[in-house]
Amino acid sequence: MSPHFIFRAAYSWRPFNEAIILNNMINVKLTLILEKTPIPIFYQLLSKGFIIHARTGCSIKELLCEQFGIKNDYLDKRIQTIFLDNKTVDDVKSTFIRNGSTLALSAAMPGILGATLRKGGWYAPMRREISHDKDIPSDTGKKGKITVKLFNLIVRELGPLFLEQGIRVKGEDFYDIVARNENIFMAGCKKAIKDGNDIDPEKLIEVEWEGKQVLLQIKATMN
Amino acid sequence: MDKILRIDMGANGGPKTDVQPLGDYAGLGGRAMTSGIVAKEVPPLCHPLGENNKLVIAPGMLSGSAAVQSGRISVGCKSPLTGGIKEANSGGQGAQVLARLGYAAIILEGKPKDDTLYKVFINKDGVKIEPDNSLKMLGNYDLVDKMKGAYGDKIACMSIGPAGEMKMSAASVAFTDMELRPTRHAGRGGVGAVMGSKGVKVIVLDDTGTTFRVPKDPDKFKEANKAFTQGLKKHPVTGEGLPAYGTNVLTNVLNEAGGYPTNNFSSGQFNGASKISGETLAETETARGGKATHGCHKGCVIQCSGTYNDKDGNFLTKQPEYETIWAHGGNCGIDDLDAIAMIDRLDDDFGLDTIEMGAAIGVAMEAGIAKFGDAEAAINLIKEVGQGTPLGRVLGNGAAVTGKVFGVERVPVVKNQALPAYDPRAVQGIGVTYATSPMGADHTAGYAVTANILKVGGDVDPLKPQGQVELSRNLQIATAGLTDSTGMCLFIAFAILDQPDTFQALLDIVSGFTGVPFTADDAAALGKSVLTNERNFNFAAGFSKKDDRLPEFFTKETVPPHNIAFKVSDEELDQVFNW
Repeated sequence: MSPHFIFRAAYSWRPFNEAIILNNMINVKLTLILEKTPIPIFYQLLSKGFIIHARTGCSIKELLCEQFGIKNDYLDKRIQTIFLDNKTVDDVKSTFIRNGSTLALSAAMPGILGATLRKGGWYAPMRREISHDKDIPSDTGKKGKITVKLFNLIVRELGPLFLEQGIRVKGEDFYDIVARNENIFMAGCKKAIKDGNDIDPEKLIEVEWEGKQVLLQIKATMN
Repeated sequence: MDKILRIDMGANGGPKTDVQPLGDYAGLGGRAMTSGIVAKEVPPLCHPLGENNKLVIAPGMLSGSAAVQSGRISVGCKSPLTGGIKEANSGGQGAQVLARLGYAAIILEGKPKDDTLYKVFINKDGVKIEPDNSLKMLGNYDLVDKMKGAYGDKIACMSIGPAGEMKMSAASVAFTDMELRPTRHAGRGGVGAVMGSKGVKVIVLDDTGTTFRVPKDPDKFKEANKAFTQGLKKHPVTGEGLPAYGTNVLTNVLNEAGGYPTNNFSSGQFNGASKISGETLAETETARGGKATHGCHKGCVIQCSGTYNDKDGNFLTKQPEYETIWAHGGNCGIDDLDAIAMIDRLDDDFGLDTIEMGAAIGVAMEAGIAKFGDAEAAINLIKEVGQGTPLGRVLGNGAAVTGKVFGVERVPVVKNQALPAYDPRAVQGIGVTYATSPMGADHTAGYAVTANILKVGGDVDPLKPQGQVELSRNLQIATAGLTDSTGMCLFIAFAILDQPDTFQALLDIVSGFTGVPFTADDAAALGKSVLTNERNFNFAAGFSKKDDRLPEFFTKETVPPHNIAFKVSDEELDQVFNW
């Protein structure tokens, strides 16, 4: 699915980009220029969760469609399973994001579990104990930090775009991905820029990543 | 598919075969056939490994036809694990080939006079049974290679590994896939032990010279099959999600829901989930030259399977299912895909139910036999099962036995069968199915998410907070009547839930094939009939409503992140089968 069907053209995703750049808690800024092949190995970071700054106190729908610029149709039809703070979401208009929230987005899932966890689905009563109750907004309009997780088809479709904008991740998580996929990464990494300076991709393994916050930006080469 | 093959393994002078017409079993397939025969012919109080038990192998009613997704095969008996009736089903080539050979069921009866091991060969010309003690204690992979050498590569095999020969309660019956690998298993309930008790190591099927089964109304069947295929391909689950990631796509989602049982059900979330998720699995398979999209039998258009290569790019195992990766992964605190894939390979080779073995090892880890997260120890424990060491024999008889031997209270079983990969405290409606299914804890017993279409067991308002009992009832009826008996893969469910025209196409496939109208009401009636047979058998075998309960710890212990216990009352559980 191309970005044309996912994002509203008028918004692009500048607000999101600015939010990340405003973050002053970053220890390392790392930009990688990769061939397309190794990019999916970093989807694990997106599934494990990355932090962004956004306006909180808004509904999930407002966050995704107004702040991120995701099209209503994509949210309605493609993002079929949503969790806010581990609870399943049925109504994206009446469930609100708070500072510190964790929001996870998934496509429709198979089987009875998929049907049960689906937003507003027939089988929602089967998981009513973990369903998100309707609530009222708080901290409206304030900026806060939220953790976003992208799964399955959603990470495949939104992942490259989020990576291109830059995501904030733990240094040890970045190292773990590179170490476990070293051959694929090294073969496909064309350029690495750490804190504004070029760095040999092979040297990335030697960097001390433990305990550091990394603003990771991944761009694909044109070929 | 107009005959039943009975093989009396205890006959004087050696095994004797008898091919019979369908008689009272005409029109049945899959689970309806196996449970129908077991309920009618097996004394409920018999010993599961004794001469009076029967092992029934039945393709679905559509298997062997050109209907897509119709390759499920059912294996039924009195279970040595639960002590009740059992139906375990599998993909692979077995259903299609057996159906094309014309058999609606194979029934293994009686008990051999000695410990001679037999192989059975079936082709269009008949049945041949031979003793072959050279097969003793062979793993399924070596066994199939040997059969390939003897009969060529146009065959399909149903077999047991060492676990079945040792009559372990976690033993499976293996079915070969399209590449003639023993990767598909009727895993649950110890059906492999019953095959072992009959002295049958392998049934080799060769359908050379046969053709697709012919529908009664070819035009209607063809048109419906085409519409059904299109429906599956256009749906995001069956057309995109499952082909891309397989069933393991559920790992991240269940973990996020706090319903991913971790370290023997002591937490609802696993920190290493993203390392063993479907997304990571697919990327790993692709990077190593394996396949992330592959079918388990001919005629599959969903293609939810794949092939998992080792780090050197050599085939190790098929793409493990979600339940396998959970059982040997998060449930044991293991986040190493290579280790989990190795255990899956060993399970397939020894002929073991991956869910039961993962649960048993989880219980053993809780008992201190190994540490949670110790992948090497888990691999060694599985090897002990394959070797039949004393510890291996304990583990190979399942989580309940393991818990008793080591004095563990937190043992996740219902009717002695291990719970699959969804914590019933988070998704309590599935806990209702775990508790009440005649099969013991079984995630597939209430899987056919068509209950709202079938309108079985009464309407349920999904917007009301109540309804878990009613939904479970409806799901169990729909599963028994619509998927388990037709031979259709369970994963068709979402497409027929969302797309009424696809559901109608499925009904039209059945009626186009049989020439008899088949409606939603017919499917519901069949489902109720199957469940009634099964529950009556279990009652006669000594079960009561007290067996329709989750283990006590689920009602007492709360686990993060939701910190809630299972709340559905006993009185509500007792209403599930009141229709």
